[in-house]
Amino acid sequence: MAIAVFFVAAAMAIVGGVGVISFRQPIRSVLSLVVVMIALSVLFLLLSAQFVFVVQIIVYAGAVMVLFLFVIALLGPARESGRGRLRFQAGLSGLFVLAFFGLVYAMMQGVQFRQPEKTDLSVFGTVQSIAVGLFTSYLYPFELTSILLLVAAIGAVYLSRRDER
Amino acid sequence: MGKLDIGGSQLDTSWFLLLGAILFTLGTVGVLVRRNPLIILISIELMLNAVNLTLIAFSRQLENIEGQLFALMTMTVAAAEAVVGLAILVDIFRVRDLEDIDDLSELKG
Repeated sequence: MAIAVFFVAAAMAIVGGVGVISFRQPIRSVLSLVVVMIALSVLFLLLSAQFVFVVQIIVYAGAVMVLFLFVIALLGPARESGRGRLRFQAGLSGLFVLAFFGLVYAMMQGVQFRQPEKTDLSVFGTVQSIAVGLFTSYLYPFELTSILLLVAAIGAVYLSRRDER
Repeated sequence: MGKLDIGGSQLDTSWFLLLGAILFTLGTVGVLVRRNPLIILISIELMLNAVNLTLIAFSRQLENIEGQLFALMTMTVAAAEAVVGLAILVDIFRVRDLEDIDDLSELKG
């Protein structure tokens, strides 16, 4: 059962990923990315990461994608027309990416994992265990992310103000 | 490779890692080949999502919650990156109509 769920979600993610990079209209790319995110959230649930699953749905598929949709609504449907000036480089980048994937795949083949013990999955990945990690040993990086969000908010407000410049 | 016991059936960790590698590669292709700046930002989001999947797969494999904590921090960084990137994009589009990311070549000597 879990294997069937995995393969359905993985196929959804790959189809969505191909859609992201192959649709001409940005709106379709964004909707494909929503498909990828929902498929990945199912995989997070399979890996017993319940809290990350919820955050993925609410923050990513909800908030960030709505932001993208608003920007597309603001800018209008800009189509990519024809081919660009850099045809030679496009083929080269395809070759490079293929080599990169081969490298990652080869590295994955050499990894030896130990067999996981029987973890208590009723505790692993819950809000409680995440919070214990975030507020004890990783308190400092967690506070730094709040500063990062503040800086991003200030930057966005500054960039989008409408006055004489 | 380690087998994960999920819902009574055995799933290999490397399948999750392979899917993460495929999605990351697709995102890289998008960044390199597409010329619409908005789609380049979307492809970067795809790459960050692939990294999240890898982090969480390792977190489950090694039974260590830290992978999930770092996945959450990656999401924060992705949100900040999307906000600032889109703000810059809207600012550029306000000045002029940009069809191709290669049109931004004022800094070229």
